[in-house]
Amino acid sequence: MRKAEIGATTALALHSLCAAGLATGYWLSHSLYSSSLITDPAPTLRILTVCEAPVVILLFSWLRRDHDRCSFIKAVARGLIGLPIGALINAFGTIVLGAPVGLKFWPATIYWSMLMSLFTFVPAACVFGASKLDWQQILSYSKPSNIVDYMLSVPAHGAIIGAWLGAWPMPLDWERPWQEWPICVTYGAIAGHLIGMLFSPVLIFLHRRHIRTKTE
Amino acid sequence: MRMRLKAAAAAVLCLHCLGVYLFTRGFLLTRTELSAFSLPSDLLQAQAPCCSDLPSTTDQDLPGWTPPTVERVLILIVDALRFDFVAPSSLFQKKQKWMDRLSSLQHLASTHPSSSRIFKAIADPPTTSLQRLKALTTGGLPTFIDVGNSFAAPAIQEDNWIHQLVHTGRRVVMMGDDTWTQLFPHHFNHSYPYPSFNVKDLHTVDNGVAQHLVPWLHRQDWDVLIGHFLGVDHAGHIFGVDSQPMVQKLEQINAILQNVTDIMNSQKHLENTMLIVMGDHAQTLNGDHGGGTSEEVETCLFAWMPRSLPSSISSIFHPSTCGLGLNGKNICTSTMQQLDFAVSISALLGIPFPFGSIGRVNPELYALSPGSWDRQWLPASFYEDPSSDLKTWKNNYAHVLCINSWQVKRYIDSYSATSVMGFPSDDLHYITKLYNEAQSRWSDSKNSSCKPENGTIDEFSDFLLSFATLARSAWTEFDMKLMGVGLGIFIISIIFHLFVFERVHSLSNVYDNKTQKSSNHLQIYVAFLLVAVRAVSFLSNSYILAEGRVANFLLATTAIGSIRSSLVYGKIKKHDLVFLILIILIRFGIEKGMSKQAATNPFLNYDSGSDFDLKWLPSLFEGHDFVTLLPEISPMIILFLLSFLSCKYITCTVHSRYIKWVVTVGTMLSYLFIATFWLSERSFAPKMVYVIGLSLFVLNFVLRYLGILEKGETVQRLRSLALVMVSAWSPTILILLGKQGPFVVLVCIIAGWSIISSKNKGLLDDCKMDPISVMQWSLLAICLFYQTGHWCTFDGLRYGAAFIGFDEFKVVRQAILLFVDTFGISHILPIFSLPFLVTIPNSSSSKGRDKTVIFLNLTQVYLLYGLITAITTTFTVLCVAIQRRHLMVWGLFAPKYVFDAIGLLLTDVLICVSALYYC
Repeated sequence: MRKAEIGATTALALHSLCAAGLATGYWLSHSLYSSSLITDPAPTLRILTVCEAPVVILLFSWLRRDHDRCSFIKAVARGLIGLPIGALINAFGTIVLGAPVGLKFWPATIYWSMLMSLFTFVPAACVFGASKLDWQQILSYSKPSNIVDYMLSVPAHGAIIGAWLGAWPMPLDWERPWQEWPICVTYGAIAGHLIGMLFSPVLIFLHRRHIRTKTE
Repeated sequence: MRMRLKAAAAAVLCLHCLGVYLFTRGFLLTRTELSAFSLPSDLLQAQAPCCSDLPSTTDQDLPGWTPPTVERVLILIVDALRFDFVAPSSLFQKKQKWMDRLSSLQHLASTHPSSSRIFKAIADPPTTSLQRLKALTTGGLPTFIDVGNSFAAPAIQEDNWIHQLVHTGRRVVMMGDDTWTQLFPHHFNHSYPYPSFNVKDLHTVDNGVAQHLVPWLHRQDWDVLIGHFLGVDHAGHIFGVDSQPMVQKLEQINAILQNVTDIMNSQKHLENTMLIVMGDHAQTLNGDHGGGTSEEVETCLFAWMPRSLPSSISSIFHPSTCGLGLNGKNICTSTMQQLDFAVSISALLGIPFPFGSIGRVNPELYALSPGSWDRQWLPASFYEDPSSDLKTWKNNYAHVLCINSWQVKRYIDSYSATSVMGFPSDDLHYITKLYNEAQSRWSDSKNSSCKPENGTIDEFSDFLLSFATLARSAWTEFDMKLMGVGLGIFIISIIFHLFVFERVHSLSNVYDNKTQKSSNHLQIYVAFLLVAVRAVSFLSNSYILAEGRVANFLLATTAIGSIRSSLVYGKIKKHDLVFLILIILIRFGIEKGMSKQAATNPFLNYDSGSDFDLKWLPSLFEGHDFVTLLPEISPMIILFLLSFLSCKYITCTVHSRYIKWVVTVGTMLSYLFIATFWLSERSFAPKMVYVIGLSLFVLNFVLRYLGILEKGETVQRLRSLALVMVSAWSPTILILLGKQGPFVVLVCIIAGWSIISSKNKGLLDDCKMDPISVMQWSLLAICLFYQTGHWCTFDGLRYGAAFIGFDEFKVVRQAILLFVDTFGISHILPIFSLPFLVTIPNSSSSKGRDKTVIFLNLTQVYLLYGLITAITTTFTVLCVAIQRRHLMVWGLFAPKYVFDAIGLLLTDVLICVSALYYC
């Protein structure tokens, strides 16, 4: 098969599919349940997660690294296992950073970390599985040889940085409902993720041109 | 090289001292509280010039300095009473819905123009209730820091008219806001305090006052009755001025006032009673107050006398602004200074003027009292003279003003003699000249038997008003020039600091292999980015309140970043995860501290219920709540663990045999004493701990200079020096922290260990200075400050710690203990343990290291740590200067500045000491 030979336009298209998944989730929660992120965060996050999960897992399983040894089904299974693991890591990270741990925040925290897991951990799990070298490579950017690397790491880092920045308005005394955990953090994460998704095709385009000039 | 750190640290310390001194002179207005009280006999004893012809009718046991001119005073304070609540709406551009609601007062003012008056009372900032009540009763200008004897209790220590009333046997009744009972715990014959804390409660206090007020008006056994309504203030805070609850509240107050005036008109025993309705301060349309804008300071004072007064009073009333009232009649208003209230009320009631009062007896308020028209001061021969009422009044008033001026002059003299920062000498000369002129004119007019007239009154007024202006500029106005110069010196010191750091840094790069240069630079940038984020966050009051959480957030960010780089360079190590878990523990401690702070700080809107309603989770999980689980045992166990750890570490690190023995025994004994203290509460045990700590500290320096600790390799020597230093301090800090101490110190040790072991990822030489680790060290120190239940306001000081081991109070001793408790875990321990950052990784590469390189690295670490503290403090200073007109400047920014400035100076001093000790 085409071993990860996709161009910037394809990447953009795939990313738009992911974004469409998010948009669908938002629209669904808005129209069907008339709930928004601000009024009831936990159900909205749940709907977002449910809509986004199949899109992300299917797309990135299709982009899996070792096409020969790993079937599509196996990659999907990796993604499904990766979802709770990534959620755990994200939840732990956010609690370290100061998210509230009261019982009433639990549902929101769980769904939020699921969503973050879909942004960060699940795509890589689908593509790499448990290959340690690939994980290290993607974290260090040491050799961004592969186009899929960009597609994975740029939106994921975008989501994390966005969530980190999104936490800053929380201590302010504006007394707005969106300052509650995890609303503004979610907005930050989604915004960061979208920016990352827009940015990664650009990087891919530059990367390809760089390679082309090199070979020429 | 060794000299460099010492010289640089000393230079930076000097610069910071200068900067802090100048900025503080400009920003933190200080006033010394004098403990002297006025006595009735003062006037006779002091040969005051005014009493040369005390009225012959006066017997020796006259309770005050002047004869009382009213029998009783009924003071009704409406908190946050705006001037436009009372004054007729025709005085303002547009009639708003909150105006003209107190119609009973307007009715009185229009129908009794010669026995009632509406004043615009100008309060002095800070316009917070506590400061205002203090000002109203003492007649002074309370500043942010009133240097006095009171350590924690808010009770007023200065002379005040409540004290004078009680002292002269008058009966004072208080109802309403419980701040009064805090300020005057033992003064009232009867008091009906209601809690003032709950801002959302509009009615409890007001209904309570209304319920007790009427029965008391029918009784005769009181002389002064104070009623303090809070509803208007609370309605303003919650709903704002332009709101229906505010209108309802004003109408309720109006009904109460109507009832009161009806009773006063009908009751014979209240005929000689003056009614004063006043605000302690005003409020903005949003209901805020605290600052010095005209909306906040322009409050109102209404005075009314049921008895009719001579009509010539109208010539005393100042030509003033008048407007049409509700009933179509003219209502006139005057302006007075709230500063004058205390002395005026003392003159009305005939009690000695409060010692520290700097106001002037207000002529219009004084004229409203019937007694001021009696011929109290005139010699008997004068009685036949059919002199006009006005002349008599002027004579009386001149006498009162003379005594008033004498009292203020006495205060100026004793203040200049005793205070820390006096008044500028030029101004003092001018004031003294004015006083002398007025007094000589007074005695001239006495001798030449022509009665004192307007001239003397004007001269005394001139003196009093000039002094009030001088006092205001000294106690209520910021000196922008000094503040700017102070800030400039801070910035210069940072530039100097950066320059030295850069020199040392490039020097150390010469010794190193150049390959790591870029990586190290990146780390420096990251560290400074973190500092910048933290520093900029001080611009918002919310982030100052949440400083502990912000520091924890940044610390967690660095820890997560470090995990990420461990992933890149290999696998996650144990200490990384331990560090994350520790951060969670510290975070719970910080949040617990914040919920404690929220109970006392009205600004902090912290929802503690959300996090600490952890019924599902044993309290084992949150910070020092460990203590509640196993109240006695767990600190003991951790203490045992700590003593074991330190014993083990000392024996394997310190090489000199005697030192090892002395330090081990000292530490063990200290821990034993701490355990004894916790089990038996014996007070000798903490004293022993302090003595051991102090003697070890002194011994260290002595041994250091005798050269006994010089043996061994440089790295080992440095490490053992640092260890001995830390073991000398930690038992003292631990016992002061109380039972949370062992846990916190353990957290501190493990976190330090994690930082040291996780540093320098990807660097070949693991003894090189890592800026991120230094940053983490500093963030950890801030987290520990908040975790141990401190916060940056004065009620955040743990006063209990000052009395560990001592029962009686001595200022210096208790202040030192409090100081060590406050800054011990966050400044003393972290700075003395900084050498561990360069010496702990005892890998093979460090063995053959050059001595110079190690000291270079140590110098770098200390310089960087000092730089981080200096930059954040400079930003605090800058933000305080920018926010000096902020609503919370006295509640939040100023205490933060004080804590940071002290912390910075302490850091500099500790770095100097470390430079002397280690290098």
